[in-house]
Amino acid sequence: MGSFTSIVYKEIKELIRDPKILFGVVLLPLLLYPLMGQGLQISQQSVQTAIRGAQFSVYSDDKGQVAGIFVQYITTNNTITNIQATGLQDALVKFKDSNSVAMVYVPNGYSQNITDGLKGHVKIYGNLKNLNIAEASGVEVAGSLVSVYNYYYSLAMIKQLMVATGNLGDSEAIRSPLSINYASIIKGNVIEVAPSQITSVILSQSIMLPIMVMMMVIFAIQMAATSIALEKEQKTLETLMTLPVGRLTILSGKLAGSVVIAVAGSISYMIGFGYYTSSAFSFAPQLTSVDLTGVGIGIQPIGYALLGIVMFVTLVSALALAISLAVFTDSVRSAQSLTGVLIVPLIIPAMILMFSDIEMLPPAIQWIMLAIPYTHTMLATKAAFMGNYWIMMRSILYISAFTVLVLWVAAKIFSTERIITARFMSFSFRKKKRQAN
Amino acid sequence: MGLAIDVRDLRKSFGDFEALKGTTFSVEESEIFGLIGPNGAGKTTTLRVLGTLISPTSGVAEVFGHDVVKEAGKIREILSYLPEDAGAYQYLSGEEYLRFMAGFYARERSAVEEMVQAGKDISGLGDRLKDRVNGYSRGMKRRLLIARALMIKPKLAILDEPTSGLDVIQAYHVRGMIKDYAENMGVTILVSSHNMLEVEYLCHKVALINEGNIISEGTPEELKARYNAVNLEQAFMEATQLG
Repeated sequence: MGSFTSIVYKEIKELIRDPKILFGVVLLPLLLYPLMGQGLQISQQSVQTAIRGAQFSVYSDDKGQVAGIFVQYITTNNTITNIQATGLQDALVKFKDSNSVAMVYVPNGYSQNITDGLKGHVKIYGNLKNLNIAEASGVEVAGSLVSVYNYYYSLAMIKQLMVATGNLGDSEAIRSPLSINYASIIKGNVIEVAPSQITSVILSQSIMLPIMVMMMVIFAIQMAATSIALEKEQKTLETLMTLPVGRLTILSGKLAGSVVIAVAGSISYMIGFGYYTSSAFSFAPQLTSVDLTGVGIGIQPIGYALLGIVMFVTLVSALALAISLAVFTDSVRSAQSLTGVLIVPLIIPAMILMFSDIEMLPPAIQWIMLAIPYTHTMLATKAAFMGNYWIMMRSILYISAFTVLVLWVAAKIFSTERIITARFMSFSFRKKKRQAN
Repeated sequence: MGLAIDVRDLRKSFGDFEALKGTTFSVEESEIFGLIGPNGAGKTTTLRVLGTLISPTSGVAEVFGHDVVKEAGKIREILSYLPEDAGAYQYLSGEEYLRFMAGFYARERSAVEEMVQAGKDISGLGDRLKDRVNGYSRGMKRRLLIARALMIKPKLAILDEPTSGLDVIQAYHVRGMIKDYAENMGVTILVSSHNMLEVEYLCHKVALINEGNIISEGTPEELKARYNAVNLEQAFMEATQLG
């Protein structure tokens, strides 16, 4: 086994055998996310069951025929109780003490208004005993019942008027005379799909990729920082530095070992997260499937190749940065706290660019964002979907330049005595000592 | 016999602090040489320079004729360095640790296994070498580390406080390991220690170091005679005029 392979093998063994890493990075996402998803699914199912079994009430102060028809329609549903009361206050007391989640109230004057061609007012009261989602959803179901009645009642009235006036036509068309259809132009091609539908499909496909990239880089940073800090904490670094092996071999061995664990952590995260989304949102209606590959949307083989390069240079730069910082610490805990700072320039561009374009931001923010190398990682993942390979190339060049710089710094630290003597504390300590003298 | 170590007017500064102020000494091949002095005297700094971990500010430091700055790579091939508070990888077993280290000095599988076997014999840890290092006592770790340092048959072994933190029995065993190995293998050993008794037992030659300077050098018997002392401790106190 060569020195490089030997170091990589040792790094993987050390990291994977550390219970904190094995559990926190590899096993926890596999356990936590499915459990969270299962929890959400159970909660959603119980809400749906509660909605299906929800009871409603109706009370009418209007004794007119029109109100009677409305109450009769409402009570056709056998879960509805028609409250018999002396007035609204009495009805509300009875409603409060009942198991009903909503009460439809028809005030006096409803029938008269409808007959006069005016709006008939109804009011829906919600009985919020536990302030939960099931109660609020139950009230919405009562609202839907009224809306359905409203729709068909208006159509019936239009038909009556048309017959009375001798008009011919479609009552539905008179009720809603305009029909709107959407289409989108993408890369010069017109496709008969609404823009919102396309963006939701792209978002649903592209959102996972930046999350995966972000998680992988964050894991890698933690691994690299832990790897170097472990050497310092276990007091093995000095011995390692006196071995007949190039310092750059040690550095690259550590980087490679960290990448392997980070990739394992990311895969575990994605499996866990995938299970979470599939179980947690199983109740949600599925998005209409739109095939956009025909218009050049979606990742093509060249896009995957460029994306691979983007991820590689991003990982290497983040790892080298983490190692360069971790050298200045002397424990795993302090290394992880210090490298936690690195996560900020990763998360902020990812969050902003997940939902908006860089061109939409104010110019000053745009320049700041563009200066952060990891913004370009996110820009490249978006560009991969759109087939904008020029943007991807630009991102690769920028991140590579940054990677070379950071690797140079890391190599400098590794090849000099700074790897042994560097401490963040030493400067402030010396300063204090001088002041004390 | 040639010189294993040649240090001349060696200086090392950390910012405003001068740790070594013109240290000069030499060590013959196959000699066990002791560097003794109080905390902050410059022992560890000297050993780190010779171990190619840090660079001197000025002066000459050579190991078997190789300059510590210009030929650090060549020195690392013939050197074994054991830092004072060194540890081993806690999630590897003792045997895995020895095998990992042997892999840097031997390419052939048989040569690696030969080194590992030598390490097992030197450590005397037996079946405990199958256990992970995080279950070892301090004494067991130190024995493992000394075995690691010696199993590769280095031309020069630098041992910084080899018995530091060990109880009397463990320290006795470790000293025995070092002395037996040096006598049998003819390895040059540079030892630093606070323990004058240990140095007197182990070393052919001793240098007294204080405040970055070698203040006296010779065999333990010569030093005792020079300062009319009954032991090295008294000799050191006389030499530093602290007694």
